[in-house]
Amino acid sequence: MRPPSPSIPEKEFLVASLKESLRLDGRLPLETRTPILTFGPELGWVECALGKTRVVAEVEGKMVKPTPERPFEGSSRYTRRYRPWRRASTSPVGRASDEEVTITRMLDKVLRRSDAVDKESLCILAGQRVWHLRLTLHFLSDAGNMLDCACLAGIVALKHFRRPDVEVIGDEVTVHEPTERAPIPLAIHHTPFCFTFAFFPDPSIPPVIDPSQLEQRLSAGLLSVALNAQRELCVVQKLGGVPLDPDDVLKIVSVAVQKAKELNNVVDARLREDWEARKVEVT
Amino acid sequence: MITFTSFPVPADDTYNGAHSHHPDVSEDVLMDLDDDQDPLEAGGSKLTYPGESLTSSQAYMRGHGTYVENEEVIASVAGTMERVNKLVTVRAVRTRYNPEVGDLVVGRITEVQPRRWKVDANSRQDAVLMLSSVNLPGGVQRRKLESDELQMRTFFEEGDLLVAEVQAFFSDGAMSLHTRSLKYGKLRNGQLVTVPPVLVRRLKSHFIALPCGVDLILGLNGYIWVSKHVKASDQEGEEGFDAEAVYSNQNDYIDDLTRIAISRVTNIIRVLAAHFVPLTDTLLLEAYEWTVDQEGGAKDLLQEDVGDALVATITARL
Amino acid sequence: MGSRVEILNDGGFRSDGRRQFELRDMTIDLSQQGQADGCAVVTHGLTQVLVSVFGPREAKMRSQTMHDRANISVEVNVAAFSTGERRKRTRGDKRILELAATIKSTFEPVVQTNLYPRSQIDVYVQVLQQDGGLLQACINATTLALVNAGIPLLDFVCAVSGGVHSTSPLLDLTLLEENDIPNVTVAMMPKTGKVTLVTMETRLHVDRFEEIFRLAGDAGKVIHGEMKNAVRSRTSALVAAMGSGPRVGGVDVAADKDGDDRMNEY
Repeated sequence: MRPPSPSIPEKEFLVASLKESLRLDGRLPLETRTPILTFGPELGWVECALGKTRVVAEVEGKMVKPTPERPFEGSSRYTRRYRPWRRASTSPVGRASDEEVTITRMLDKVLRRSDAVDKESLCILAGQRVWHLRLTLHFLSDAGNMLDCACLAGIVALKHFRRPDVEVIGDEVTVHEPTERAPIPLAIHHTPFCFTFAFFPDPSIPPVIDPSQLEQRLSAGLLSVALNAQRELCVVQKLGGVPLDPDDVLKIVSVAVQKAKELNNVVDARLREDWEARKVEVT
Repeated sequence: MITFTSFPVPADDTYNGAHSHHPDVSEDVLMDLDDDQDPLEAGGSKLTYPGESLTSSQAYMRGHGTYVENEEVIASVAGTMERVNKLVTVRAVRTRYNPEVGDLVVGRITEVQPRRWKVDANSRQDAVLMLSSVNLPGGVQRRKLESDELQMRTFFEEGDLLVAEVQAFFSDGAMSLHTRSLKYGKLRNGQLVTVPPVLVRRLKSHFIALPCGVDLILGLNGYIWVSKHVKASDQEGEEGFDAEAVYSNQNDYIDDLTRIAISRVTNIIRVLAAHFVPLTDTLLLEAYEWTVDQEGGAKDLLQEDVGDALVATITARL
Repeated sequence: MGSRVEILNDGGFRSDGRRQFELRDMTIDLSQQGQADGCAVVTHGLTQVLVSVFGPREAKMRSQTMHDRANISVEVNVAAFSTGERRKRTRGDKRILELAATIKSTFEPVVQTNLYPRSQIDVYVQVLQQDGGLLQACINATTLALVNAGIPLLDFVCAVSGGVHSTSPLLDLTLLEENDIPNVTVAMMPKTGKVTLVTMETRLHVDRFEEIFRLAGDAGKVIHGEMKNAVRSRTSALVAAMGSGPRVGGVDVAADKDGDDRMNEY
């Protein structure tokens, strides 16, 4: 059983409108959907929505003994829960579909391998106690571009999370309740954001940022760029698909640079807003 | 300007294609030297590689193994370029079998389906052998019955080898076979060798009887059947068609000498195929005589030096 | 993580004695191996990959057939002995699945799959040795194996890896360099100069990226030259061998080019 592909008229309609730089949801080709970030009562619980695509990310921290190879570093683990969007058997049961593999690997690269979180600051007592972070992503619904949404949810959750303050006297570790002392945010090196562009086989169709589900399905190649507002690329990934002119690739990267700055401001503003709201509650 | 350099290749490098290359301008000129002699005019053939631009698409038509982009005819396979009037084609050196109607092929049943068999014939899709295109027991020209449909496995079952002719093509390019001749049908009393299909040329007859008591069927798909010689009279049987003999799974008695001859011929074919020498009846015969003269066993052929000597001798003779 | 080995020393040499833009020795073996329709063994320095291509042939699974084109299936197998630390990777390993998916989607637009409806092309990638530039070796070897199998391609796909050490770009990284510095792999099609694959997994400034990206594109052309020559000499050797047989209809091609002594290698 193959997943029902978009019907031919749907496809024709989309392609025809894209040729005139029109998108079905009224956006411009290089316009993203505005992310809606909703913070939960707990610190580190974020729901991110790009249109109808929704991902929930939650961060938990607990103290563990570090691995003997890395006594000074905290650890982190990412768990992903795909379920509802696993459409009617795209792949044999039990085996991850290609899309899942791509998202998993990409998240791993964006959030972990790019060293977003300073692992050494998670150390409490060398060789004895470190913080272990667990980030769980729940993919709630897929309306295209799960990857960007998940990356955003993940990084915002890490920024939103605050761990309880800890005091070390000799070998004694005291954990202060949030009510006693203000919890401490994680040391974040940088904030990578991911942007996905979709390309179409017809060269006259411009690349489209933040593709909707239909656009994603009909596209002939995706290019994902993860970068921070400091113009540092973390991941560039174009795995096959239609060949592109090198200049086009660089153009897209520069678009992403612009978008990352904008998004960074949005995220910072939202985080500040939320934190202000919480402060009032506490005092 | 930045230049790229590769490591120098050790002098004793056996692979002479792996020279290290400096992308200087002179290099490109050297590489393109043979392109300059305009093979289109020469009418000869030229070696191509995928992505090589051959000619303008306005003056010429594209054939197999090429595509057109930006008004240029571009090769898509590595092989020899050929030109017939305005048509430019590229034939790949090695490829799977491309069937043509009337070709003789040797195949293997992979699946029994309602009213048809699927046959692996080294092509891009399995061939189809319809129940209506085989000879049924009890007379050549007989309507097929429901009972025939029910006992299709008594004619051919999965794993059986057969020789057939390409009859037609389906719309998706799959070929349809037929065995409606006394020459065609199930194979027994021998063994199969596979060679690259390009090595089997179209001959007057693909049924070759070598004087050493070995029959050869050179399938154009590169499957070659080497078997014990069957006398023409035995093949026909009484009344022109003997269903039991034709669809039998039982090998006849084969004496030791014939067995050795069969394996000798098989090994010759393997050696020739490994050296990429096209097979013909005369060539095989010469090769057989040569090996007998050498007084080696059939298995000696598979030793590299013997094989090389064989190829050197027979290609020199012709 | 700090490296004890200098990636690029003051004299401008890298840890294995190469200069900044020097590529590793590349060898290509296109000889026939077993029953495969096309084979290629490609070595970049100490990285070695064997690719066998089967097909186009009848699809094994009916669900995978497509009525208008061939399906390409890629399977990657990393030999347990290919790295310094012996380790068996299972087939479900995400890295390997990603590698396979990458190879598949890189070649899907390049192979003229529409010529073979309902068929399947199987690509088996066997990684024999790893010393950096795994993806590059896999892509180059797959291109050559497909060419060798006579499967029509729009163009070669040539891949090169590159990296940036502080501000100096390097090409064709070894494992040691790959672990230490930001690296990029670029696969390009030399005819149009278009890029089919770009991957980068480490932090790098946009301007640096642009530099190495362009360099890798240029280096791809050098790799293309090597690959082209290998294909040519293989083709001419085969044509010469065929020409040495009897009664070949008018094909009297380049038979003298490689001579009979060359034939024995095949």
